[in-house]
Amino acid sequence: MLFFRSEERVREWCEAHGHPVRPLVRMNQLWGLATAWYATRLQEDSRRPGPDEIRSIFAGLGLADDFWDPSSNDVG
Amino acid sequence: MTADTQVKLAVYRHFAETGVRPSPHEVAERAGCEIREALDAYQRLGAQRLLVLESDGSSIRMASPFSGVPTQHVVESEGIRYFANCAWDALGIPAALHRNATIHSRCEQSGEPLHLRVSPSGPEPCDWVFHCPVPAAEWWDDIVFT
Repeated sequence: MLFFRSEERVREWCEAHGHPVRPLVRMNQLWGLATAWYATRLQEDSRRPGPDEIRSIFAGLGLADDFWDPSSNDVG
Repeated sequence: MTADTQVKLAVYRHFAETGVRPSPHEVAERAGCEIREALDAYQRLGAQRLLVLESDGSSIRMASPFSGVPTQHVVESEGIRYFANCAWDALGIPAALHRNATIHSRCEQSGEPLHLRVSPSGPEPCDWVFHCPVPAAEWWDDIVFT
């Protein structure tokens, strides 16, 4: 899970390393993921989101591609 | 509060206060338990994917968003230097701390440095992007690579 300066740099990196280009995430979307996972992490009642919550979080951030489907129920 | 929760909080709060991973002794002292009990809790927390341990079973590699080892994703906040496991976790550290922070990282392709200020309400405007080569369902197949 890496930062890139632009979509062009992503494509260059994927070509150089033999990876397919996956859906890009903008910084505001990444902040949404970060807060969904970690905003309560230092609190007593913190827990990782469950599979249905994960799907809802991704969908709410516009990450609806199959790439984001936690089909194994083990994401996060 | 359960013993596992006490150990979990001891680990996470040590990271938050110091930026570095705690020793089993430090965790046991903070959680009010024996070192053996803390290490047993590590195994259960690992099964819940709240901790990732080194092969020795006692050193913490990840207590996400915090990394127990140096990485290319550095977060500075209130004079404390943290390492994040990945780009997602780099934003996760200020999200967990609820404090202003600055992320120092780089473009993985060009090496161009990234210095991103983050407040409790989010990052400053930034047109960089995040890319993960591994589909979500496979992230935990090799979480260190992911």
